[in-house]
Parts: sequence; structure tokens; C-alpha cells
Amino acid sequence: MGAIPLLWGILTLLFLLLHLAPGDPTTAFFNPNVSPEVIEQMRRNFGLDRPLYEQYVRWLGSFLSGDFGYSFSQFRPVTAVLADALPNTLLLGGVSLGLIFIIGCAVGIVQAIRQYSVLDHSLTFLALFIYSMPGFWLGLMLILIVSSNAVPDGARLPISGMQSLDYDAMGLWGRLADRGRHLVLPTIALGVASAAAVARYMRGSMLEVIGQDYIRTARAKGLTERRVVLVHALRNAMIPVVSLLGLFLPILFGGAVVIEVVFSWPGMGRLMHDAILARDYPVVLAGSFLFAALVIAGNLVADLLYAVVDPRIRYE
Amino acid sequence: MRNAWAALLSRTLCVSLALSGWGCGDRTESLEEIPALPPVAESERFGGTAVVGGAADVATVNPAATTGHLAAELQKHVLLMTLLRHDSTMQAEPYLAESWELNQDSTQVVFHLRRDVRWHDGVSTTARDVAFTFERLKEPRTAFPNREWFDQWEGAEVLDPYTIRFVLRPHAGFLYGWTQLPIMPAHLLGDVGPEELGRDPFGTEAPVGNGPFRFVERLPGDRWVFEANEGFPNGLGGRPYLDRLVYKAVPDEATLFAELRTGSVHMLRDLPPSQIERIEADPDLAVLTFPIRSYTFIVWNGQRPVFRDAAVRRALTMAIDRPSLVGAVRNGLGRVANGPIGPWHWAYEAELAPLAYDPEGAAALLDSLGWTDSDGDGVRDRAGNELSFELSTNDRQVNQDISVIVQSQLRAIGVEATPSTRESGALAAALTSPERRFDAVVLAWDPDFEVDDRPLFACSHLGEIFQFASYCNRELDPVLDSIPMVRDRPTRLRLYRKYNRIVQGDQPFTFLYFTTDAVGVRRELQGLVLDARGEFTSVRDWWVHPDYRAANGSP
Repeated sequence: MGAIPLLWGILTLLFLLLHLAPGDPTTAFFNPNVSPEVIEQMRRNFGLDRPLYEQYVRWLGSFLSGDFGYSFSQFRPVTAVLADALPNTLLLGGVSLGLIFIIGCAVGIVQAIRQYSVLDHSLTFLALFIYSMPGFWLGLMLILIVSSNAVPDGARLPISGMQSLDYDAMGLWGRLADRGRHLVLPTIALGVASAAAVARYMRGSMLEVIGQDYIRTARAKGLTERRVVLVHALRNAMIPVVSLLGLFLPILFGGAVVIEVVFSWPGMGRLMHDAILARDYPVVLAGSFLFAALVIAGNLVADLLYAVVDPRIRYE
Repeated sequence: MRNAWAALLSRTLCVSLALSGWGCGDRTESLEEIPALPPVAESERFGGTAVVGGAADVATVNPAATTGHLAAELQKHVLLMTLLRHDSTMQAEPYLAESWELNQDSTQVVFHLRRDVRWHDGVSTTARDVAFTFERLKEPRTAFPNREWFDQWEGAEVLDPYTIRFVLRPHAGFLYGWTQLPIMPAHLLGDVGPEELGRDPFGTEAPVGNGPFRFVERLPGDRWVFEANEGFPNGLGGRPYLDRLVYKAVPDEATLFAELRTGSVHMLRDLPPSQIERIEADPDLAVLTFPIRSYTFIVWNGQRPVFRDAAVRRALTMAIDRPSLVGAVRNGLGRVANGPIGPWHWAYEAELAPLAYDPEGAAALLDSLGWTDSDGDGVRDRAGNELSFELSTNDRQVNQDISVIVQSQLRAIGVEATPSTRESGALAAALTSPERRFDAVVLAWDPDFEVDDRPLFACSHLGEIFQFASYCNRELDPVLDSIPMVRDRPTRLRLYRKYNRIVQGDQPFTFLYFTTDAVGVRRELQGLVLDARGEFTSVRDWWVHPDYRAANGSP
């Protein structure tokens, strides 16, 4: 429940910052061919001619009743604008998050059980190499590789947007495959660095657990190594890694801004970026609210997952 | 290799020309035409999809809500129709209206509309639509961005479904607004209140037009898809060759270039000048250039005592090496500006040489005005004031590059310009505030097709928002006032020349360069006509060479 005053505080601060910053949505019409009277009328139509406190009260009132208002730069209801962009970002972020944890954990486990082997050393090197690569740069490199002449036309992965031109003519499976192909590069660019980080955490945590007495007991019982690692050790080794989930959400959303621009993915990151530049107050405010709510929800999910992996924690 | 050598050669040529004070001009002449492909019969031009890619998305195609270039082009040339349109010499020619008559004293115009134009939902386009569009535009509550086009126009009277009469005050270029204003469907928007017109779903979700292409779908942030309008009048050429036309927004430069290279995009708008060489090196691609209306300039704040003297402003202009500036920041895509009227305009005065680059002359001029470096700190001063100022600009890279170059060139004559970047909203606020909170600013903008620069330079506009320069020359006012009133071109030409001369002498702005725009195109996209009217002027005649259609994945 502490989240609600927090959200209100964030939004109020943002409201003030946005309105006190110089310029307003009509800056886009800054041009001697547009007469000042027209600009004045536009401001009236947007409600920007009112005193700030009145705008704030109006905005808060409609916000609380679930009306996010009209976008100044998109000329549509903010709800419709967000409803277009949010699922795209959730799809990209969700798939990335899944891959981060699956690949990160798998690599971490392999490294832990083969500690100090050549494989471990080379994976460590690779993880550090990837981790230190900025996502946008990796994205551009992927685009360069995919669009090089070495790749035959038929095998090229799409580098922009989230569906092909003939998407509407495809059947269900065709559409799924098409969407999947569009996801490959942005997901890699967005997730690979975090996956490397997860692998590092997983390796450390797994090593610690594998040295424990109960693991020796499990082995002594004659369980297969596979069962020892994947059942007995994994669950305990996951505890610190799960807490990363909550940490990664804001990083993912932040990274999405850049990755969505590079791969022309029509999601929240790009929307917010453009909305801030266009002084589209309603979109910025509603979008920030959504981001904040998502991060809070993500942390809640992480808390719940603790209970799943750590039997000592029980929520009443 | 041949291309690389040619590029090198032309650059060398540029430098030597620049040294002799002439600059490289625009590159238009030196660029290759699209390489020829096997000829095809006219009937085989039909079919295929053309994809245009650009950095920005188009938020709406509603004329009541936007002045964006691309949006305006989609309205005028693709989705909707204007009553008239510009021919290649910028004279009005019939389009939705097949003819017009002007009465004796130029106070009434009658337009006769084509009878074979239908909205994409099947309803006829009539004089009622024209009257509706005009009335909404004139209604102040609509906040129609380009209401000024029709300042001199008053009532509309529908005489019959295909004839409409307007009352106006006589003025020059009176047909201009009708070449720009897309007519909107009254039967769909008639019930929408003026305040709501700009944000009606018409412009964002379900546009119904009457132009050569009809709306298919829009994915916000991603693309607009149009298809051929089978019912486009035969008298205007009939249905377009293309089956589909797609505009795709790809914000990242490198990604967009890769899309062009691999054939997912056929035309790349707003080509960054730095990519010209890469495109010329690819045998499947070509660069096409054309002069556009935009020019880049430095505005000097005339309220600052330093800039009040026209001789000082002239010295500053002379100290800036504009030819090499165009080479450096635009890769040659531009022409040194000799005033406010660019090469796209019929009154462009090619013979008028811009103030020459002459740092010694500039230094001598400043010396003679008493601006000398009396305290030996490397910056000129007079009566205790240093010739030192802030050169602001917005966050566009090209403007920042310009301010750094200008800084170094002015330093050479003992003038200290300190570049500073301001966020564009903040910069606009500083420029337009009555106190004019700036010293000098690097800016670029597009004049209207009908140049009326009173808001910029007329004494009568001092204190109004676009008189940034706070510049007043009593000799200029009558000239600026007559330009929009005089109808015959020879007299207007004389007025424009006088305007050029006065501004050349006074330098309220330092006009840096006229922009040449460039697009990158794939060789299979044919039928393009590119000029100041825009990229989509000839979109009805675009076609994709049949040999390439399958390779693009277009059905």
C-alpha cells in the first residue's frame, strides 16, 4: 500500500517538472507561417491557457477516474496510444526476460559443475565480453551482419518493425513464425548482457550451494548427479538469482528505449522518448505511471517467487 | 573504384573552388541518374509495392492538426486532393477543380470541380466538401495551423454541386492556398465540432480520402499502408501503377540504410549527407537531390548594442567561410545563401553573389568601427565592451557543428562566440520572449511557397514573436508590404530584388545556406519527380520494375 503515495509523489513531481520546463506542445508549430493567434487557440484547445494549479487539479481528477486524456502529439486518446505500445514492449521485454533467465541459469550451472575447466574459463571470458558490450552497439552490429552480402536474401532476419508487409495475408502459424523472426534480433540485443550477468550470479551461487553438506548427503544417498544438481542444489541456488528479477525490470525498460529505436520496434520506450521531446504531457505522465506500476508489480512477483524457491518464507 | 575516384576528384574540385570563393554549389548536376533497367511496356508497370522509409512516424494525416512535411505530402499527393496543384514551375494548375474564373476586379473566384471524383467510400466529392473545409479552416476554434493562407478570403457560396464561388480581397498569388489545402469529406466530418476536428479518428485511424491511394491500415510507430484507388479519374491519369504504397518509420539511421540496401525499403527520405558516398558505391542504389525551401541562418539579436550596427553584422558574415561550411556540415548538399529567396523559388536571383568570405576585410571593417583588441586578450573591444557573445542552437547535430565552425572562424578575427546548446522548447521560448533572451542563434526553417517575410523583418512587426532580430529599416517596409499585394511577376521580381539588396546590406540574419535535400533510392523504383513540391508529387506514376517485385517479398 506504500506504493500509492509513492506513485502520487512521482507523478506530481513529474507534472511540475514537465510544465515548468520551457516550451510546450505547440513548439512543434514554431514557424513564421503559423500565426500566433492560431498557437494561442491551440493552447486553449489543449487547456494549457489555465493556471497551473487548475491544470493539476483537473489532470489529477481525471487521472483518478481512469481518464488519461488526449495525446497532444498523437491526436488520440492516451489510453489508445498506450494500448498500442504497451503490449509490444511487454512482448519484447517478456521474451527477453525469459531468455535472460533460461540462458543465464543454464550457463551458470554448467560453469559451476565444470568449475575451472576450459569450458568454464571460456564461458567466463565470453560472459564478461558480452556483459561489457552496450546493447545498442550490439544491435547495430547484428544489423550490419544480417544485412551484409554474405547472408542470402531468403535467410535474412528482419531488422525493423514487428511484422512483415504481408502479415495480414498469413495464417496463424505463419504469423507466429513471422513475429518470432522479428523478435530474434531485438531480444538478443536487449537481453544478452543481462543473461551474462545472470550467468555470473548463478555460477557463484551454485558453487556455494554445491559445497554444502546436504548436497554431499544427497550424493551419498546415491542420487544421480543430474538429480542432485537440478533438484536439490538448483532450488537453493536460485534464491539470490530471483532477487535479480526485480532489479532487471527497470533495466529492461530503460534498455528498451534504445533497442526499440535501433530496431524500430513500436513500443513504450520509443513512445515515451518521442512524447518527452514533443512535450506530450498526458502521454509522458500516463506512461511513467505505467512504468512505475510495472516495476512495482515486478518486485511483487519477485517477492512471491522467493516463497516458491525458499521454503523458509511463507506469506500469510 | 570508379565511383571512389569520382568522389575524390569532386571533393578536390570543391576545395579548390572553395578557395577561390565560389564553393561547390549543390551537387545536383554531378550525381548519376538511376541506372537503366530493361525497358517494359506501360501495361507492365501496374502492380507491386513501393516502400518509403524515413526517421519520423506520421501521427495523423488530418490537415486540421498538422503542418509536418511528410504528413502534408501524404495529404496532398496520396490520400486527399487539393483544388489546384503546383506544376513544376510553381504555377497553379487544375486538379480537383478543372477550371476557375476570376471576376473583373479580382474580388470573386468561381471554381468548377471535376464531376468524376469520389471519396473512397463511394460518395461524390462536391462543392459542399470544399465549402465545409474552408469554413472549418476559417473558424478560429479549429486552430487550423495554416489559416493564414486564407486571410484575404471571406465567404464561400455553393452555386451548384460542382461550382463554388469565393469572395476575396485582391492579392498576389491568391490561388496559393488552394494548392496546399486538402479538401476534407463533409459527409463524414460535418458533425464534428471545430475543437474536436484536429483529434478526430479520421486522421489517425480511419482516413477516407479521394486521392490516388486509399488508406488500408496504420500501425502506430511503425507504418502507414495505402493501396491503389481503382476509381481515380482517368482524366487525371487513372489508377496509380503501384498496388500498394507503404510508409515505414525507422528512427535509426543505420537500420534505415540497411533496409534500403537489402531492398525492404525503396526510397530513403531525408538522407543524411554523410551517407551519400556509401549509397553511390552501391550499384543498386542512387542518390537524387533537389533544392527545398529550407534555409539555415544565424539571427543576430538587434537589441544587443553590439549587433545594432549593420556594419558589425556584415563583418561577421564576411568572416564566416560559408562555402567550406556547406561542404563540411552538408557534404556539399546546399548552396551558399544570398538572401531569403532560395533556388527553388521563381524569383531566386542567381546573379547576386553572396557577401564574399573575406576575413581581412572583416577585420579591417571592425578596426574602422573602433572594435580593436585594446587590452591584448585576443578579443576585440570598444569602450570597455568585449566583442563576445553566446551562439546558441538547438540539439540538432548539424546546427551544433555549424556553431563550432563559426566559433573558430570568428576567433580568427578576434571575435569570441561561445557555442551553447539549448533544448528546442527552451530555445523557442528565449527567441520569442519580449526580452529576447539570446545573443545569436543558429536556426533553420522553411519559408512558405508564397514568401511573405513581414513577420521576420518589418518594423510594423517589431515586438512580435518572429521579429527575433528586432530589425527595422524604414526603406524595407513598403517593399515587404507590397510583395503580397502585387500580382504581376515582373513587378514582384523587382520588389524581391530590392528586398534581397536591402537585406544583403543590413544582414539582420547571416544567411548561411539553402538546403539541397537528398533521397536514396533503389534502382527498381521508377517514375520519380523530385523538387521543392516534395517527394510524393508524382506518386501516381511511380512504378516498381517487374524484375524486382518478387525479390522484395511483395506479392
